[in-house]
Amino acid sequence: MKKTNKEQQALDRLADALVDDVFNASDEEILAERTEMKNLSEEDAKLKALFEQALLKANKSRLAAAKAGAAANQYPIMRAPGPIFDIATARERIRALVKAVDPSHPITLAARNENELSDTDILSMYEDLVELGVVPPITED
Amino acid sequence: MEDGDQFRLSKLAGKRTRDEVAAAIRGFTPADRARLESTSRYFGRARGFEPEVLLQEALMRAVDGRSCPDHVDVVRFVAQIMRSVAHGESEKLENQVNLVAIDHFGGAADAACQVADEADDAETQLMSAERAEACKKMHDAIIALFKDDDAALLIFEGITDDLSVAEMLELAGLDKTAYQSKRKFIRRTIDKHFPNGWKS
Repeated sequence: MKKTNKEQQALDRLADALVDDVFNASDEEILAERTEMKNLSEEDAKLKALFEQALLKANKSRLAAAKAGAAANQYPIMRAPGPIFDIATARERIRALVKAVDPSHPITLAARNENELSDTDILSMYEDLVELGVVPPITED
Repeated sequence: MEDGDQFRLSKLAGKRTRDEVAAAIRGFTPADRARLESTSRYFGRARGFEPEVLLQEALMRAVDGRSCPDHVDVVRFVAQIMRSVAHGESEKLENQVNLVAIDHFGGAADAACQVADEADDAETQLMSAERAEACKKMHDAIIALFKDDDAALLIFEGITDDLSVAEMLELAGLDKTAYQSKRKFIRRTIDKHFPNGWKS
């Protein structure tokens, strides 16, 4: 892990002290010092433009975020509808499967007690079996 | 959140709204702008940032992201953001804990185990070394400016060693007025020699 070196700390402290001094100086002092080094009005016009540009950028990014939010609300995420299952058919096929299976083949207790399972459990189990290729998918027709 | 809600929440929390901050920025005087420009040079160069970029970033964060308490002057608020951006961006690297996965040979639990990697990678080491070298050069260049002025040098070293004003007065054998005028001299000398910040 990188650590702040001694010279970096020294520069940080110096920067803090210089900033303090700039804020403690009067407006007249600050402007007089600048006049010695730069063309004051030209320099200030540049700064004013820079400040305005920053405000515009902030507005633009806010606008972009608002637009993205509005677009997200306008077009809610569309999910593909799940396959339509006839729950009675699914139960019947699972029951038939349990009956038809070789007695030596291990079958979960849940599958044996199909009538105790909720419709959701049956659907989930049936989907798993379809994925495994054990049972055919149930179609509407 | 609607702008009206934002306004009411800001007021309830004793904060300026973004419109108030933006209006305050638009109403800055030339002296305010000059102060912030100087601030961007001091903080920017101390941490290796382009002053203009730092200033723009702070202004943007001032209106969008940071909340300015009602009682805080917006000029000082922007200056403080510059400081935290300059320090934060470089300290993010310093405080970053790199986690590395332990080589795992089987169990799923092994894959979840991570240890903090305390060692810097080669690139970070190189960057740290370059930054340390740049800091040292800047530091030496500033010291060279005051080599013929013992009092200025003592005050400069006092500032960088984090001494109190009382300690510096005693060390430099100055009264408060002479001390303040020396500090002003130090700042103006640095500004003159390093108009874009104290870049060596």
